[in-house]
Amino acid sequence: MSVQWWCSARGIPWRWSWQAYPGVWIAVLALGAAYARWSRPNGESTSHPNAVSEGRRVGGWIGVALVWASLDWPGGPLGTGYLSSVHAAQFLALAMIAPPLLLRGIDGNRIRAFLARNGIAAKIITAVTTPLFAMLAFTIVMLATHAPGVVDTLMRSQLGAFALDLAWFLSGLTFWWPVVIDVPLRERFGPPMRMLYLFAGTQAHLYLSMWLLLAEFPAYGIYELAPRVTRLSALEDQQVAGGLLLTIGGTYVLAVISVLFFRWFAEPQPEA
Amino acid sequence: MVILIEMLAIAGCGISAESGGSAYRGAMLGKAVPRPSFTLTDTHGQPFDFRAQTDDTVTLLFFGYLSCPDVCPVHLSNIATVMRGLPYEVTGKIRVVFVTTDPARDTPEKLHAWLAGFDPSFVGLRGTPEQIKAIEKMVDVAPAVAAAPDSAGAYEVGHAAQVLAFTRDDSAHVVYPFGTRQADWAHDLPLLAKVK
Repeated sequence: MSVQWWCSARGIPWRWSWQAYPGVWIAVLALGAAYARWSRPNGESTSHPNAVSEGRRVGGWIGVALVWASLDWPGGPLGTGYLSSVHAAQFLALAMIAPPLLLRGIDGNRIRAFLARNGIAAKIITAVTTPLFAMLAFTIVMLATHAPGVVDTLMRSQLGAFALDLAWFLSGLTFWWPVVIDVPLRERFGPPMRMLYLFAGTQAHLYLSMWLLLAEFPAYGIYELAPRVTRLSALEDQQVAGGLLLTIGGTYVLAVISVLFFRWFAEPQPEA
Repeated sequence: MVILIEMLAIAGCGISAESGGSAYRGAMLGKAVPRPSFTLTDTHGQPFDFRAQTDDTVTLLFFGYLSCPDVCPVHLSNIATVMRGLPYEVTGKIRVVFVTTDPARDTPEKLHAWLAGFDPSFVGLRGTPEQIKAIEKMVDVAPAVAAAPDSAGAYEVGHAAQVLAFTRDDSAHVVYPFGTRQADWAHDLPLLAKVK
């Protein structure tokens, strides 16, 4: 059994034998600890009127579990060095699904209290969660981290693969923050703007999935030259990756937009 | 402009392998390797005269073995995938010949089925270890070396990882090391087929 700090592409044949990734465990434990702290209601009583619901809190723990599953064995090494389809699933988990689940489980009052006490943190969070900045950052990170040269370079080292995973997760948190959390309060960023924001912010995702689906050749040398794990060719595996991004990612964003729309539709409208 | 130049190069009536050297994405050899003369046994048990039966074709010659966990399946899969997408005018001039470096385990039946899984047109050849070593020497590639078997009796065979491309001028001017991408094959195979 060999131990690696973080998953990286090693170019050796895949074996279904468990491997330890201590760096992943530390990262997931840190995330879990942070989430446990931030999802607690900002007060002694759990019956606080603004307390996070049990469902939201559990959703956040599902987000932690998703992060863990996508980084640890077998998903982590498969996505890092063998299968483009698993790499796409990791992207969906780390940047699209886990961040909003985690953010929904955080108590908004606790964030407000924290930001009131920490001026520098408040300035940074306010700046990076500005919708235009968050959308551009998410789009740039998504496109840059799927560029063949970047993937083929970063995935060969543990530090590079760690940087890529971290970039996905942080850009995902930044992107979903304005949709999920009303801190700081942006009165002009109501439900219609949030729907438009989600639609615009995921256009690059659509482009990326179509590019993977329709490419004539495998885009990434890492996956094309890796010993095969399944009977799928490298190109077929890449098409599965594109299909996953398009169907799961697209359906997920559409579902969130639909929920926002129907909630907004059901809200009592101010009388003219 | 680059596309125009490439189209002109491919549309030419025939190019010289040596003059077109810089056009290839494979690795150019400093000294061309002549198409070797040898006879081995194919997967139907018939003698295969390499020089005669690959004459006037682009012949991709590769040494490897069926249990190879990485290099062999990736090379063969990439070549097969690209050939499926090329027109018959190109693929009709190309032969892929695989010489096993592990004849003890690679029986004709197993070798035939394995190669057919990539492309039924791929030719599998077997011979004695001495014959194979002599051929490897002829084409100037490193001889295959079997590692010591593990407790289960399994072993790996170290072998040359490059594919030699013999063109219709009966020489290999370019080789394709491990790491050659499908896009590289798709670029080079039509060029190789043009060589007179």
